[in-house]
Amino acid sequence: MDQRFPQQLFPSFYNSGPPDSLPEHCAGTWGCYDRVRAEGGSGPVSNWTFTPGHRVRGEAWRHTEPVPVPLLSPKRTFESHSKPPDPQDFREHMQNFFMDHSQDAFGCMGEILSENFNFQNRKTKSDQNSVNMWMVKNVLSSLNVKICHRTYRSRPLSGLGALLSDAVHSVPPELLGSLLYEELTEQRERMFFSEGATGGALAFVPFSEESSSRRGCLLYPGDQGQNQLNFHNVELQHHRGGSSVLTPSVGDPFRFHLKAPIRQISSASLFNNCCVAVRSDHLCGVWRFSEGTDPRLLQVVNTAEVATCVNASPHVLGEVLVASESGAVNLWAVGKGMLKVREEETNLFFNAKSSWRWCEFSAHPRVMLYADRTGVELTDIRSSPARSHTLFRISNTSECRSGERLILSRYLGDAHCFHHLITTQYSAYVVDERFPGVPMLKWDHMMESAPLFCHVLPGSASSGSVVGGDRTTKVVLGSYSSQEITMLQYSGGRVEACCSRGPPQALHRPRESLKLLPIQIPHRLETASNRLSSPAAGLTCVQKKAGEECICVVQLTEAGDVFYQILEPDRPDADSSPPRPREEETPTPPERKPAEHLSQDSQLVVTDTSSDGEMIGPTQAAPRFVAETPEREQLSDSEDSPRGGSRRWAKQLRLNVIVNDDPDPDPDPDPDPDPDPDPHSVGEVGGAETHAAEALAGSIPPEKTPDVKLSQEVLVTWKRWLQKLMKKSCGKRPHPHSLLFTNSTERLLHPPVDGEAGDPSEEELVQSLRRDLRACMSTRSLLLHSTVSASLAAPDPVPLPDVVDTDAWGDELSQRLTLSWEGEEAWRAWWEDKLGLNKEEKVKALRRKRRREKAAKRASGQRLELSGSFCSSVSYQDLGGFSDSCGWSSAASQGAWSDSEGMTPLSKSELWMMPLGQPEQPGATPTSTPVPTPTTTPAKQKAGDQRTPSSSSLRSLSQKPEVTAASLKRSSRPAEDDLYFTPTVRSVLKEESGVPSPRRTPRAEDFVWSGFSQSLSQGSQARPGPSQASQASQKKKKKSRMGF
Amino acid sequence: MMDDVEGELGRPEGDFEDDNDLSDNTSTRGKRKSKFSPGIPMCVETLKETGFHQSTRLCLEHIREAMLHHRWQEAAEFMACYPQMLENTTRDSTKQYKEVIWRLSTEILHHHHNSKMEDYNNIYERIKHSGVKHYLMISLEHAFHMLLNGHIEDAKRHLLAAESWRYGKESTDQYQKVKLIQAYRSLLDYIIWCDKKFTLSGGNFNDPVGNQEMQNYFRQASVNLKDILKNPGVWDQFILSYVEMLEFYEDHDEALNVLNDYAYDNNFPPNPNAHVFLYQYLKRHNSPGTKLMKALKILCVSVPSHELMLEYGSLLLQSEKASHLPKALGVVLEMLDFACWRSNLDVWKHLKAVIQKLQLREDWRKVVLEKMAGRKDWWPVLHFTSFHARKDSEVNPELMEVKASLIEVLCPDITLKYCAAGSSS
Repeated sequence: MDQRFPQQLFPSFYNSGPPDSLPEHCAGTWGCYDRVRAEGGSGPVSNWTFTPGHRVRGEAWRHTEPVPVPLLSPKRTFESHSKPPDPQDFREHMQNFFMDHSQDAFGCMGEILSENFNFQNRKTKSDQNSVNMWMVKNVLSSLNVKICHRTYRSRPLSGLGALLSDAVHSVPPELLGSLLYEELTEQRERMFFSEGATGGALAFVPFSEESSSRRGCLLYPGDQGQNQLNFHNVELQHHRGGSSVLTPSVGDPFRFHLKAPIRQISSASLFNNCCVAVRSDHLCGVWRFSEGTDPRLLQVVNTAEVATCVNASPHVLGEVLVASESGAVNLWAVGKGMLKVREEETNLFFNAKSSWRWCEFSAHPRVMLYADRTGVELTDIRSSPARSHTLFRISNTSECRSGERLILSRYLGDAHCFHHLITTQYSAYVVDERFPGVPMLKWDHMMESAPLFCHVLPGSASSGSVVGGDRTTKVVLGSYSSQEITMLQYSGGRVEACCSRGPPQALHRPRESLKLLPIQIPHRLETASNRLSSPAAGLTCVQKKAGEECICVVQLTEAGDVFYQILEPDRPDADSSPPRPREEETPTPPERKPAEHLSQDSQLVVTDTSSDGEMIGPTQAAPRFVAETPEREQLSDSEDSPRGGSRRWAKQLRLNVIVNDDPDPDPDPDPDPDPDPDPHSVGEVGGAETHAAEALAGSIPPEKTPDVKLSQEVLVTWKRWLQKLMKKSCGKRPHPHSLLFTNSTERLLHPPVDGEAGDPSEEELVQSLRRDLRACMSTRSLLLHSTVSASLAAPDPVPLPDVVDTDAWGDELSQRLTLSWEGEEAWRAWWEDKLGLNKEEKVKALRRKRRREKAAKRASGQRLELSGSFCSSVSYQDLGGFSDSCGWSSAASQGAWSDSEGMTPLSKSELWMMPLGQPEQPGATPTSTPVPTPTTTPAKQKAGDQRTPSSSSLRSLSQKPEVTAASLKRSSRPAEDDLYFTPTVRSVLKEESGVPSPRRTPRAEDFVWSGFSQSLSQGSQARPGPSQASQASQKKKKKSRMGF
Repeated sequence: MMDDVEGELGRPEGDFEDDNDLSDNTSTRGKRKSKFSPGIPMCVETLKETGFHQSTRLCLEHIREAMLHHRWQEAAEFMACYPQMLENTTRDSTKQYKEVIWRLSTEILHHHHNSKMEDYNNIYERIKHSGVKHYLMISLEHAFHMLLNGHIEDAKRHLLAAESWRYGKESTDQYQKVKLIQAYRSLLDYIIWCDKKFTLSGGNFNDPVGNQEMQNYFRQASVNLKDILKNPGVWDQFILSYVEMLEFYEDHDEALNVLNDYAYDNNFPPNPNAHVFLYQYLKRHNSPGTKLMKALKILCVSVPSHELMLEYGSLLLQSEKASHLPKALGVVLEMLDFACWRSNLDVWKHLKAVIQKLQLREDWRKVVLEKMAGRKDWWPVLHFTSFHARKDSEVNPELMEVKASLIEVLCPDITLKYCAAGSSS
């Protein structure tokens, strides 16, 4: 039927000339009918029907899963930039080069000049001609440190710099800089658009077809450098309503190692024999294989210029077209040699400044298609100066926009033997080679970046003749940097003119899948999202027509990962959604039962474990959550807003992921998601499954059906994939660079060894501390103070040296000496006092002082009241309770412990709840204590000893379910606190937290100050704040301390 | 070619290719996208953006995303909020926004299960009258929408209204839109003309009133159809209607003239159908064989794979001229080069007929050798491999027989596995 040309085409103007319209809006051709054609012959009006150039409806295809699924386990790969390099950073790169490769950067001149510089010691006798540089050495060494180099400069060095700066570089910095800039610009461009990747390095060669599965061979590059060609048998299985999977065969793929990364794989099949042409930058190779036979390399050629295109002939096996940047296209008959078909030094229709060339076969085996960025020509190679005529050009005829450039051309031989697909960064065109110059069809593909890959799924051959039952031809386009995949549909081209069907449909991208998967903890998230957002490198499709129809879109990324997504026809009347979960459940009734049974009380277990996770106690189950997913969604949290239904479901599913960090994740698809017989996990599985079933059966509004649900298998696949990815990426973190600043930690972490023998008890202490730490690590709970507090119990406090009582030394000399500590003025004043020089002044000062004191007394009458009320609201009992309740987060330092002072109970608890996002549980409170510092009194130590057991008893108490609401708890706190603290402890705490000692006279100013400083809350005891120092009374106290 | 160079280079804002704009690179540092990743216009954050702009831009992004993923309900919900963009006072590009709103809402209506004709009319009418720049385009689309829903009368009324619309100076685009509107209106006139003709044909054509009416419609239609045929383009539908009416009124000269222009005017694109229409017209009016062959010969140059080439081949075969026989062979061989004819029994039979007739001549070997010279290194692989034999014997044994009988003639020097494989299987 392909030989028929449409009897009537849609009307259109033929405007030659360059394009003149600009890309304007983002709505593409939505809402347009394009053109309309009348049909019906010459009959009455009612006989006439109209067909539009763009039909509103195409076939509806829907995803079976909401995310693409990884096909292979992640392999190691070179880490790529996550951000495009900025060309303006070339100075930084130059600096790195100078620092890291100084030998290369300055080696030559350095050797010549080295005779004339002397870096030795000053005393070294040296040549008369050499310059002494020992003084400069310090300046040089300080260059490593970030200081202001203007301040710390050295005159001789800058002098030498001015003298030699243009001579010392092996490569002139101007040249290096401009080259670097160029390179960075190019790298940046390449990150957005990689010309070399055009066509895509992924291909699927179908084998025989069965009713339930489709087998074939997937060809993809592997290994770290993408320089390994893999032939991997895969099988697509699809059952409507059931699971649909693409599975690789068990055995290892057939591998070939190449010398360079693979850019493009092109395959052509004839009579079940397949010819595969592979392009890397300077090498092209041809393999041959079929279903039964192993792939065999036929020939490899070397191209002088970078090859830009390779294409295997669909007419004659073993004929391959190769285009290179030289502008030449060669017809390569494998085993016979190359024949230059065409060569163009310049671009075809206008100067697009691009040496990219592309070539394709056409319906005639000796007519080639020669393309560059400006258009496409058909070249007949039978006549010796090849005859050419324009097939397509960037012009007004095709309603191109200015700036539009041709990106890819593809012969659609499978769909229609005269059709070619041509894509630009804005549009996709179907061109019929029998009617050159006018595209038969035009879409706006609406992709963010230009489509570099495409795959065409032919519709039924009879399409066009029957309006109703025909299948559309699908064009799947894939872009490079943004990983987009868009599916377009069209029909016609034989008896009837081509018409596009339905709006473009965007398919899933790997980089967006993390949103729908269980949340990862940040560093994993970063690794995973980096990996998933590496640009696409190829696209192919597997189509299954027999039995249940489906399409599997396979996408390759530059990191070497292969993802697939399966589409099935969306038939609303079919038995689509309901049986899915049922079928999942039916095969395993015996397991369901105990699981369900478990799930009754596993509810409790689950909430318990999750709250444990919050608590970060050394429990078994909690760290599993901690390790994988930071989000602890409450299972019991069952708000019933209809809108959030699906989302909630997804969230609950997150819990469904059983963290499986077993040391060896085996590659075989193990049906049991968690081999670890942990009762907690089993409980989780059961609980989550019931919830999944509930949510499925439950109230998902019918409007939301397009949101396909994530199935359990896919979830497990993803989980395994991510885990393996983490394993792979952990090992290759770059070691810190040797030039980076390092600090020796060798002696910091050793206990100070005094004497040879060392204290045996201390030795024991260290041992037990190590034991505790190890236990902590093995359970992977957080390292808390409570776990080590027992072993870290304070050693005997070192007694303070006796305070010198200055009053005991009454002689003049002593007084003078004491005073002289206060500075010269005090000392002078003493002398003046002694000599009676300042009698009058003294009298005056005394008067002033009295007046001031009187005024102060008057004012303090009110202030005393104020501060009293303030103090009563901040009772130290409460403070103790709070500082303790948040102890695990603030126990790290003693200063932080006293942070809680001065906060009102409400604000404190709010602050505490906020980052955790959960009502505080009584069980979540305790375990750690204010750090007993080495200087504490024995009473304090005793308190520490008591607390540790009490916290564990409290945990058991916390499992009482009745105390849940925060308010309830807040009111019950004092009682709890009594559990924590014996009265002695409290009194100790009072002593400790910087309260003015009772023996001091409660002066009004002091009270005001203490309240103020407490609200300032910065470790009033640990280090005296500046406000303290300014206080005269404090000064006096200090003075007494400082006496010897 | 030259004009393109100038056209491209003389376009300052559109030329993304110019590499001399290093200064431009540095000024838009960090934000610059690649030349082939144009980004989405209107969805890019601009420098001076108020909260209003931001929220409408985000809304547009959401609508776009939902529509690309075919989540029409969601898109419709967002779309309910988007028209507030029209209240925007700070930007002058409201024309684009109106067009975007029109496109988005019609597309959503296309896919929304609750859409009614009134909704469509509402949106078409409102946007149509909200600005002058897109009036013609939306009028045309509105008419299309009515035609597709069977409201031919309404559509004609709308097209008439759009035809009489005038606003200032016309751009090329507007000129072409006007022409299209006129042509489509005339096409509807033609359809009514056909209707009248059909009703009259039941009785007789002597009814003066009916005849007059038909005449009127013919006149109305012919003016615009003739007009648009003067513009280079693809006018298959219009020319067929026009020619049919001309034929009815027996204006053969005009009809032939129009068809000739359509086929042979170099300003027109090389439309194979133009030649087909001319050939069919000539054939309808019993033109001599030479004229027919001339028409097909020109078609053969541009589309050697056309199905009419079979007719051309048989015309050449029937003709008396000696030089036509090698031509016929060439035509058939050329057809067989193409993928779509390779396993077509008729063509192979035709080839056999040609060769049989050719073999009556003495120099037939020379003729065949000459035609096969360029093909001898790839024809065997293209037609006569053992794989072909196996497939042909399975699918079409008769074809296999015909092909096998021709091998000896076409590829005399080469031993092929075709026959052996075919007979063995």
